[in-house]
Amino acid sequence: MIIAFLMLLAFGAARMRFEANLEAERKALYFHGAKFNLSLEERIGQMAFVAALSGFRGPIADGLWIYAHVLWEDVQWGRMKVAMDGATELQPRCVVFWENAGWHMAYNASVAAMDDKTQPRLALRVKAQHEYWRMGEDYFLRGIQNNPDSAILYTRLGSFYKEKLEDHAKAAWAYGEGAKLPNAPVFLHRFAAYQIAKIPGREREAYDLLKQYYLNGEEEQLPTLLTELGRLQEKLKIPPEQKIAIPSAPHP
Amino acid sequence: MATPAISIQNVTKVYPIPFKREKVTAVKDLSLTVEPGQVYGLLGPNGSGKSTTMKIVLGLVSPTSGTTEIFGRDSTAVASREEVGFLPENPYFYKYLTGEETLNFYGKLCGLSRARIRERSKELLKLVGLESAADRRLGGYSKGMLQRIGLAQAMIQEPRLLVLDEPTAGVDPAGSREIRDLILDFKTRGITVLLCSHLLEQVQEICDRIGILHRGAMIREGKLEDLISIQSQTELILENATPALLAEIQAMIAASPAKLIEQRKPQKTLERYFLDVTTDQP
Amino acid sequence: MTATAPAPSRHQIFSFTRVTAIASNTLLELIRLKVFYFLLIFGFIVIGISFFTSKMTFQEQHQALKSASLGAMSIFTWLLAVLATAMLLPKDIEDRTLYTILAKPVPRFEYLLGKFVGVLLLLFIALSLMSMLFLVVLYFAEQGAIEQTIRTTPKADLADALNQVHRSTFNSDLLPGIIVIYFKSALCAALTLLISTFASSSIFTVIVSVIAALIGHIQPIAREAYLSSGNAGPLAKAFFAFVALTMPDLRALDLADDVIAGNVIPMLLFLKTIGLGSTYIGVYFLVGYFMFAGKEL
Repeated sequence: MIIAFLMLLAFGAARMRFEANLEAERKALYFHGAKFNLSLEERIGQMAFVAALSGFRGPIADGLWIYAHVLWEDVQWGRMKVAMDGATELQPRCVVFWENAGWHMAYNASVAAMDDKTQPRLALRVKAQHEYWRMGEDYFLRGIQNNPDSAILYTRLGSFYKEKLEDHAKAAWAYGEGAKLPNAPVFLHRFAAYQIAKIPGREREAYDLLKQYYLNGEEEQLPTLLTELGRLQEKLKIPPEQKIAIPSAPHP
Repeated sequence: MATPAISIQNVTKVYPIPFKREKVTAVKDLSLTVEPGQVYGLLGPNGSGKSTTMKIVLGLVSPTSGTTEIFGRDSTAVASREEVGFLPENPYFYKYLTGEETLNFYGKLCGLSRARIRERSKELLKLVGLESAADRRLGGYSKGMLQRIGLAQAMIQEPRLLVLDEPTAGVDPAGSREIRDLILDFKTRGITVLLCSHLLEQVQEICDRIGILHRGAMIREGKLEDLISIQSQTELILENATPALLAEIQAMIAASPAKLIEQRKPQKTLERYFLDVTTDQP
Repeated sequence: MTATAPAPSRHQIFSFTRVTAIASNTLLELIRLKVFYFLLIFGFIVIGISFFTSKMTFQEQHQALKSASLGAMSIFTWLLAVLATAMLLPKDIEDRTLYTILAKPVPRFEYLLGKFVGVLLLLFIALSLMSMLFLVVLYFAEQGAIEQTIRTTPKADLADALNQVHRSTFNSDLLPGIIVIYFKSALCAALTLLISTFASSSIFTVIVSVIAALIGHIQPIAREAYLSSGNAGPLAKAFFAFVALTMPDLRALDLADDVIAGNVIPMLLFLKTIGLGSTYIGVYFLVGYFMFAGKEL
């Protein structure tokens, strides 16, 4: 039996480097693995932690996700965040978790905070709203960190910056980064340009981009682009001979 | 001189006890020879080393020292088992297999071709009287039927040596008799049989030679007749005869029309002999 | 019919016939196990129930369906591997059928190999059945999502949307993911076989195998800790080394998360993974044979 044990040790020594390299290769390709630390156990409970250790990460994460939806129906934002943290930690490569977690915090929770009838003080409601915005942004950013190839997360982040923070520079950056990815929605590069157009001092940059897109062909000559192009041509006082003819919009 | 069917030379088997210094000596310097065609009875009380000896013969256990050969081949070599058929004590074969499927399975293990297996299965099922039960699952067999299918599987590859461990244990008298008759039939075909049994009456009926093990050592071994004969006594089978009449009768027999039925040494039963020998040992 | 010496037959050192006879008999035996049917039914139930998670968007639904199904397939084949293998040797020893087999000219290697191949066949059947159900359920889920998409999506975006539906259901890496699940369960079977060669009972074998599998999922953490344990004390280092060297890395044989997330699994990574799995299986089997060869029966 001792010899058999020594054989296993020798095999262990022989495979150690190979396995370490294989894991590194997988991490380089995709960020992998839940962080199995105590805070995870505290978040998801002891049995779920043991189950997650045994390779049940997927089903446990799905269970937490369903639980998060139940808490959403009960409007329990704090506990919902804990459940979503558990799900995203167990399945960091699941884009849907990050996307929806960010949406829940940045949109639903923040609006609920502003509408909170139990909190009479506006300043505190605004504070809570900003806190939820920060949490939402954090989900989007961490989601991107774990899934750098996800155009959806960049899109959602850009929309968040645009709609909630009205930070056009950040929105332009997010849309622009997303547009570089192979699976990016077809409109994302245009969205980036629209946001750049709203940044004081960068109108020219936006105009050049939108003009280039216009010249790419009919599929880019969409109403919003034409409107923005027209607006920028006026603002930048583009000489007539250099202007692009914008067809007038039909009267409603 | 023919190669012995079994040749055990100075075999010792010692089992270490885990986590303890002392060891158990199951077999101690055992030597025995079984000639081809013999039926050899290996006897002994529980714990005497019979099972260990059988397992050594079958190559299931390696001796600590000594050698064992089957028809001249080392018994630890897998190839030597081509010549051996084994029926363990109270075996449970695979209950979901039919009689025929069981023989098919063991036939494949012996390297027989499909055609040969079919042929042998038919022969053996007829021999052991299980033709009508060939398609029935073993789970529905009686104890006697299981023993008989066990004998059939032991015989599937036409071995020259059969090792049978308690072949009639738990079998009713009728079934027991059938199995006894089968063994005698094997004997007439020249198959060597090594038989372990506690049923001394049966051993007495079928064995040529016996060996008695006690605490791992062979204490008596030889031809059955010789062992159980009482040398110092002479026996005449007469009715109502007195000692004084004996000498007179011998002279009278020659001249008279009376018929001497038998004159031989009186015999103890094997059971009596076995008990006398084993209870006297330290 | 007389017992004259049979025509001298040359004993084959290795015989596929003997191995397949033992393997097919083992499969027949295992397929009769009640636990096989219970585990299969539970697997079907989990896969079936996950179809009805209709509260979420179709992406989440498909993700949950794939996650639950692949998870069920993984756990149930693993459990089946451990439970079926744990009872193989003890049952044959207790019933004495082992003696009738090894009393024939059957090398112990072939006996063990035949038993192990029987288990592998059982796992293959179980996983195939569960995979077929999973793919059927996934197909119906996709059809439902396609119908809904056609109803609700404008024509201009329909092609893209349908593409997205298809990407969220079937991707080409489902099959590699399932193959890796098979190798993982086969590894667990080989490890259980090794443990059973020296274990005193089936219960002991099952308990030790389950613990080894649990530890196997965090083995990479111990390995990482050992390889980078700069300031760790000698006792801690020794502990990490012991776990890293003796326990299998079961996380390495887990591509389910990537499959569920729809990631493309490079062919080289897949080949390395199943190569590692095959090596584990081979080594554990050989060490198990080494133990069994010297076992007093």
